[in-house]
Formats: sequence, structure tokens, C-alpha cells
Amino acid sequence: MQITTFKSGDVTVAVLDGRLDTATAAEAEQQLLGLLQEGAVVADLEGVRYMSSAGLRLLLKAAKLGKGKGVKFSVCASQPAVREVFEISGFNKIITAFGTRAEALAGS
Amino acid sequence: MPSPTLVIRLEPSVAAVPDMLDRVEAYAEASELPPKTAYRLAVVCEELVANVAMHGAGGEDGATYVEIRAEREADRLRLSVEDDGRPFDPLAAAAPDVSLALDDRDIGGLGIHFVRSLVQEIAYERREGRNCLTALFEMV
Repeated sequence: MQITTFKSGDVTVAVLDGRLDTATAAEAEQQLLGLLQEGAVVADLEGVRYMSSAGLRLLLKAAKLGKGKGVKFSVCASQPAVREVFEISGFNKIITAFGTRAEALAGS
Repeated sequence: MPSPTLVIRLEPSVAAVPDMLDRVEAYAEASELPPKTAYRLAVVCEELVANVAMHGAGGEDGATYVEIRAEREADRLRLSVEDDGRPFDPLAAAAPDVSLALDDRDIGGLGIHFVRSLVQEIAYERREGRNCLTALFEMV
């Protein structure tokens, strides 16, 4: 799992690339939660071809932290397979998701 | 051409997950599984192995291995996951309420929910000192 970040105005875009699984979620979590301390974060999931419940747990933690601190957290550009696990876990209703990065930045 | 059978025996640890996923993906490709079925197979394997690593390993009667077997049948895929740890039926856990709002959602409890949702059938059996889960996937 590789995470590259850049700023777009006040928003940090975190571009995730690789598998978000039991083995990689802890490190990704540290990075994403760290970024949320500084402000709004958009997690771009286009490069995430695989996500298990470990990945969803991390997104749930990020969404909760964001809400608690009053900063926006959203995801964008999920692959169809990742969308399936979002839907079966009900996360499509509790985590803000956009189709594209541009839409996410416009909505953040 | 007969479809290959996948057999992976691994240590019940989180560290073993990436290599296991590489091999499951290679098997899915060699057996020409549809992409969605391949993804479901990989997620279910990970959740079940992670479950043994986190709940069934360690201690006196902890699991010393997990073995995954997958085989393509006519229009389905059969997966079995076996470990030699203490008796533990992950299917006995209550399902999380996926309709709750963000504040009320627990972090965790999702793995087995995924497994149940992504397979067509799944059953647990304690057999000869081993935990055996057998799952069937439809080809989608």
C-alpha cells in the first residue's frame, strides 16, 4: 500500500494505491488519521483494487475522527468491487463517497 | 481442461496474509474465475485467515496452521478453510446492524458479515480436532 498526498486548497487528497487488507491497514490508518489532524481529507481509492473489512474499519475510524473534530472526510473513485463491500457493510450510507476526485474536491 | 485446485497451508498470522492473497489471485487468474467471484474469494479467504490469526492462534490450544483449499465445480466454487486450534465457530457471532448511523457503528465485527454476505452457502463443523469451514460461491 502506497499513499501519496497533495494539497488542494485546504483539503488534503490522499491517493491510495494497492491492497487495503489486514496486513496494510494499520500503516494506512496511521497516515490517514494523522492527515485528519490537519484538516479535511479526501481519500482517492481509484488505485485500491482490493479492500477487506480491515480497510473498511480504517475508513470508519477516519469518518468518526473527522466528525468528532468537525473536519470533512470523504472517499472518491472507488472500484466496483470495493463498492460492493461498501454496500454490504452499509458504509455507503455513513461515509461520504464521490464518483470522481473533482466531485469530491467540489464537495469538500 | 481440468481446473487446478488451490491448496495453501500457512501460519495463522496476519503477516501471512499478503502472500496468501498473491496466491489466491494467481489461482483465480489461472482458473479464469470471473473478476467479481475472484474478489469475493480473496476477501473471504482473508477474513477467515485473519479470524484464526486473531482469535484462534496463541495459547496452549492455539492453531498451528490454517489450510485453504479451493476447487472449481461445474458452476460454483468450493472453498474449505481448516485449522487445528481450539473449537471456534465464527458463524455463531451475531451479525452487525449495518443500518446504524455513523456514531452508533462499532469498529469491528464486519469480517464475518462480509463472509456471510459474499458466499452462497457456508457451514462450520468441528472434525477430528479441527475447525472446518466449507463455503460455496456462485460464479458472478
